[in-house]
Amino acid sequence: MTTLTSGSRAAARTPRGAPARPGVRFARVLVAEWTKLTSVPSNPWLALGTVVAAAGTAYGLGLFVRPDDGRSGSWVVVSGFVLAQLGFLVLGAVVGTSEHTTGTARTTFTAVPRRLPVLGAQAVVTAVAAGVTAAVALGASYLATTGPRAGDAPALDLAVPGTTRALVGFVVVAVAVSLLGLGLGALLRRPADALVTGVLLVFLLDLTLSGNPGPVTDTVRALLPSAGTRLLEDDAAVAVLDAATRGPELGAWGGAAVLGAWVVVVLGAAAYRLVRHDVR
Amino acid sequence: MIEVEALTKRYGSTTAVDGLTFTARPGTVTGFLGPNGAGKSTTMRVVVGLERATSGTARVDGRRYADLPAPLHAVGVMLDARSVHPGRTAYKHLLAMAQTHGIGRARVQEVIAQTGLEPAAHRRAGTFSLGMGQRLGIAGALLGDPATLVLDEPVNGLDPDGVLWVRRLVRELAAEGRTVLLSSHLMHELALCADRVVIIGRGRLLADATVQDVVDRSERAGTVRVRTTDPEPLTRELLATGAQVTPQDGGVLQVRGATVDEVGTAARRCGATVLELGTESGSLEEAYLQLTGDAVEYRTADTREGAR
Repeated sequence: MTTLTSGSRAAARTPRGAPARPGVRFARVLVAEWTKLTSVPSNPWLALGTVVAAAGTAYGLGLFVRPDDGRSGSWVVVSGFVLAQLGFLVLGAVVGTSEHTTGTARTTFTAVPRRLPVLGAQAVVTAVAAGVTAAVALGASYLATTGPRAGDAPALDLAVPGTTRALVGFVVVAVAVSLLGLGLGALLRRPADALVTGVLLVFLLDLTLSGNPGPVTDTVRALLPSAGTRLLEDDAAVAVLDAATRGPELGAWGGAAVLGAWVVVVLGAAAYRLVRHDVR
Repeated sequence: MIEVEALTKRYGSTTAVDGLTFTARPGTVTGFLGPNGAGKSTTMRVVVGLERATSGTARVDGRRYADLPAPLHAVGVMLDARSVHPGRTAYKHLLAMAQTHGIGRARVQEVIAQTGLEPAAHRRAGTFSLGMGQRLGIAGALLGDPATLVLDEPVNGLDPDGVLWVRRLVRELAAEGRTVLLSSHLMHELALCADRVVIIGRGRLLADATVQDVVDRSERAGTVRVRTTDPEPLTRELLATGAQVTPQDGGVLQVRGATVDEVGTAARRCGATVLELGTESGSLEEAYLQLTGDAVEYRTADTREGAR
């Protein structure tokens, strides 16, 4: 009888350490995911590496640009994206897969059994981390390609049509690529699978298909996430791309929309798998 | 309180848990026993909502785990010591867990102290020994000060001090009126700290009873052990009364079907000198091996039937 009485007491009492309004809230999951992202030392190092890769590549490529190449100043500043996008892809993929590869998923999803708030919070913290990293990378790229380090390359000129969009696009597409990485990571759950798929989608398929232009390959290229990098081009460069293609003419924002659609579909598939399937 | 009812979990054609029903009650330590692959871990994972039951239900405090508004305050879970990112410190791991429920840093420090993790709190979990990982897992389970605890192999990898600590801890938790469900391969350990045991084999329930009841079911339980200088005449005398006698080394006889009094009287009748006389109590381990051994045989016959 004593055990029964104390049993009901245990159920009725307020747990030690519980806040005034106990329970799981999205804002709380968000704070937890931010702690998780920043408490693994490899993540800050990855961000730093991405900044260095962006600025270093921009500096290196800038040295080879001549004034009569038809490249604008924005092309030089954002040129590091070709390498830096791998950093953003890896960042997202690491956030998406590490739950499952390390067994943290057991802890995470017993604390938040509804699961979807976790993926939502991961998307927010990944986007914020990628956005901040991209902005820093952009600034570093500008500093690395200006003044005495500019060589013969044209200076950044916001009066050139599409320049502002290209600079903003650097950050926007970086965030989108990191979210694509997160979606692939959460969907496939294995780093190797997520990264290989990601690299194919944002980079390699487009590069392979560009060697064989035609109505079919150009249409496929327009439908790949890599079309999103059009947002990084100024108006003149976008016009050249649209004139050359034998597939659909996307313009800059059309390419961004294609990338955005990929992000939504892949994250949606990841959410479906997360909610419907078992966590190991 | 954990209520598992007609729970079945299949992976493709493999049935991991097969119509399992049991209840773990408040104020009680319920030991969960079974051979490897019997479905203990699968059952625990279904209880805490990591896996979906194929059919049947598992409820905690009358609700599905996923419907609990504050799971960490209701159920403390330790499924596997390796449920931590190896690059994260113990403190940050617990902090991130606590933050999902708005639990403060003070409580995180409290469970770190309670589990003896202070010296290692700011070390990466990847550098932890199995025992330290186990303590971190238990710290995570205690974090929300829950009324129910689900612990999978909590003493695995702990040193004797740690084993003693876990034994005291689960007894204390149950004495405070909490529900404790714990699995272990260490039969001796379970016999010491569990009130009830749920034994499963091949995903099916084999026994759900108090530890004493299960021990009494073992082959040796209730038999009389007698050591004598004259085993032969005593054996004849006992067989004549209808008891079964199994002779052992050193003049020891194992007697079934007779009480201590009857064996003593029989010895006086035939003039045998009794050096030792007592009732055997059997052990949880023996009872367990008998139960699970039967389950395997039964299951093999079952499969053959199905193949025909």
